[in-house]
Amino acid sequence: MSFEVFRDVAQPIIAGFGITARRLAEQKVTVQYPDDRREQFPRTRWRHVLTRYDSGLERCIGCSLCAGACPARCIYVEASENTDQERYSPGERYAKRYEINMLRCIFCGYCQEACPTGAIVLRKDFELANYEREDFVYTKEMLLEPIRG
Amino acid sequence: MAAVANVPLVKVSINDVEIEVPKGELIVESVKRLGLEIPIFCYHPRMKPVGMCRMCLVEVGFKQQDGSVRKMPKPQAGCTLPASEGMVVYTDTEPIHADRRGVLEFLLINHPLDCPICDRGGECPLQNNTMAYGPSTSRFIELKRHLPKAFPLSTYVTLDLERCIQCGRCVRFTEEISGDHDLAFRFRGADMQPSTFQLTDFESKFSGNVIEICPVGALTSAKYRFRARPWDLETTPSVCTVCSNGCNVWFDHRAGKFVRINGRANEAVNEEWTCDKGKFGHEHYNAADRPTQPLVRQGDGFAPTSWSGAYDPVLAAFAEGGDRVAALVGPRVSNEALFLLRRLFERAFKSARVSSNWRRTPGSGSVQGTIADVESGGPVLVFGTSLADDLPIVHLRLRKGATNAGARVVNAFSRPTEVDRFAAVSLHYRPGSELALARGLHGLLAGTGATAEAVEAETGVPADRLREAVEVLKEGGTALSSQGLYDLSDGPQIVEALAGIARATGGRSECWATGANEQGAIELGLAGEGATATLQACAEGRVKALWLVAADPFALHPDRALVERALETVEFLVVQSPVGSEALAYASVVLPTALPAEQDGTYTNCERRVQRVQPAVPPPGDGKPDWRVFSECLLRALPETPLFNPREVMEAIAAEVPAFAGCRYEALGPEGTVLGGNLLDTPDEPAMVGGQA
Ligand code: SF4
Ligand code: FES
Repeated sequence: MSFEVFRDVAQPIIAGFGITARRLAEQKVTVQYPDDRREQFPRTRWRHVLTRYDSGLERCIGCSLCAGACPARCIYVEASENTDQERYSPGERYAKRYEINMLRCIFCGYCQEACPTGAIVLRKDFELANYEREDFVYTKEMLLEPIRG
Repeated sequence: MAAVANVPLVKVSINDVEIEVPKGELIVESVKRLGLEIPIFCYHPRMKPVGMCRMCLVEVGFKQQDGSVRKMPKPQAGCTLPASEGMVVYTDTEPIHADRRGVLEFLLINHPLDCPICDRGGECPLQNNTMAYGPSTSRFIELKRHLPKAFPLSTYVTLDLERCIQCGRCVRFTEEISGDHDLAFRFRGADMQPSTFQLTDFESKFSGNVIEICPVGALTSAKYRFRARPWDLETTPSVCTVCSNGCNVWFDHRAGKFVRINGRANEAVNEEWTCDKGKFGHEHYNAADRPTQPLVRQGDGFAPTSWSGAYDPVLAAFAEGGDRVAALVGPRVSNEALFLLRRLFERAFKSARVSSNWRRTPGSGSVQGTIADVESGGPVLVFGTSLADDLPIVHLRLRKGATNAGARVVNAFSRPTEVDRFAAVSLHYRPGSELALARGLHGLLAGTGATAEAVEAETGVPADRLREAVEVLKEGGTALSSQGLYDLSDGPQIVEALAGIARATGGRSECWATGANEQGAIELGLAGEGATATLQACAEGRVKALWLVAADPFALHPDRALVERALETVEFLVVQSPVGSEALAYASVVLPTALPAEQDGTYTNCERRVQRVQPAVPPPGDGKPDWRVFSECLLRALPETPLFNPREVMEAIAAEVPAFAGCRYEALGPEGTVLGGNLLDTPDEPAMVGGQA
């Protein structure tokens, strides 16, 4: 093995392993997804959630302002009227249907910004893959936060 | 805003621009001539100004001799300020901005700002003015006024008192436009609220209009409540087909479904108003029982089929033709469909048994003037019709004529109606004595020796009243009635007597249709022998195959037993219908069709005005427009080039039917076109394209 070959080929390889060897001692950046999951940044905008008041009543009043603000036109809201027997939200109005087409959503967060009651929020759940297109239309039932016990 | 002839012009200066406006014109209108706008709440161009909200404040001054301007110390309300010579107006100065901010801050003190749940949110003048001229924050931290929310003021109107800004538009509407005086303000100051009177309800037949003119969300529609927000909606200009007036409306829809009707301005017809029947009478667009695909009878039930699967048995059954086949058409079928139906029956089936007349007696009414003529101020005899029910917009126009132009009205009906409120003379006759009264009035007016006492004996109308009526009518009295008169057994004679009255007074004789396209069917020669005769022929087995086109005989014909017998006896029954109906149960073939706002076509209203309707939403399922069904049948039955679209059909109508001469879609214009009238003067008719001429 000539000196040239050692200098141009073997030495850089050894140098490269050297860098790797030094980094072995450092903390790793990658995680073993899906076994491990990294904590998302606090203001990450992923899957929407329809939140509730502490009383368990829905915050959403079906005002459709989110649908108006949405640049992708992916939100569909149909409102209806609360009755004393059947009460979903405080006040007169609630959302009977609330649907978000996640295929269209660009996760801009304008809906959250437009919401007068803080009902729709984008949270950290980013695992939205699915097999059927229809399954990407998230209904109110899917979006609504479970009642905290 | 057009300058009225013989009103002198005055020079005013608005924001330092000199313009000439008619003397006395309100400044709020004058500024529009310069493309400017003054924010308003209580002012409405069709009602008297009251200056209640103070939103329209402007600075006003007058030119002095030395050329300087002396401003008035306080701002003035632009909506109550008539223009006068040398007036100097400023709409956009710093003090005015401050005033507007102040007025809005005051108005918002008690306004709940529940815009997100308010049906007006997104199309609310209070929101808009606050965004444009208002303060961005409120300094009011005290408790707001709390009042009942969602109070049902009438079947159609929901009142939210918290949102009211006391502009008085609703109250003034019932006083000045609908004339029923159903609403009034009670209490004073911050407690002031619009309300009905203690013992009466908001029963106006025009109540829906207050929803549109309320500048806040205080009056909202009970039917549209929480159905959609304005930005969810698409809208299509349309024409109401509930009655024969042909009001221009906005047809609002969402995701292909009808949502609501709003008034659309057409000065020649409805100005901007609608009646409740029309505004709230479109719910059948969303009915669950609408037929969605062609059906053929199979034993006791129906089997769904394709359109060609449905055409074959229909054409086979009607092939025999002649007097053995017949069609009955409902009142809401477009001109184009009517024309093609007639052509199908004449050319393919060699039958003239096509009839659109569901009245008891035959007759084609009479149209000599227009809806707008009604308000011109001449004396009018309203005979045998409850105008607010049968011809609602004509009612509003007549009332306007009576209150604004001093028209003297004689109202003759068997029971009190809304017209009595502004009529100079009311004649309440005994039911059944219509003919006697019409002939009596004619006799009295023509001076044929009839005496009021003799008429009183026959009709129960006091002789003095009759003499008063004659006094009112004798100079140019117009006789105004509806073709509902033909539902009386002596209808034609009554209409003739009314024509006699008009001849005697030198006025017009108007006997107007009440169905959306009843007049169109008459013009197109479809009145025919009448539904009663056809049904009788069916019941007696003389007609083998019957075709019902958008007609539910159970709803349209008074004689249930006859209808039942006819539908049972007839061998082959085609029910072509956009909506579910009782007749479906008897059908051999069901053809699902489109409602008016689901298709292209024209309608002829009571004054023979042809107006265009465009498809706003698709028909459900496989539904097709009526005209297309007939065109496809024609194509199958005859070796003829078919007419491919309604525009071509209209060209064929114009070529074949003299009344429609010159009627092309291009010639219709935004207000529609009255047949005969200005159409005939339309020059340079372009060559027909692909027509059948
Ligand atoms: S209800 Fe509406 S229209 Fe009537 S006074 Fe109040 S704000 Fe004006
Ligand atoms: S618009 Fe002039 S005072 Fe209301």
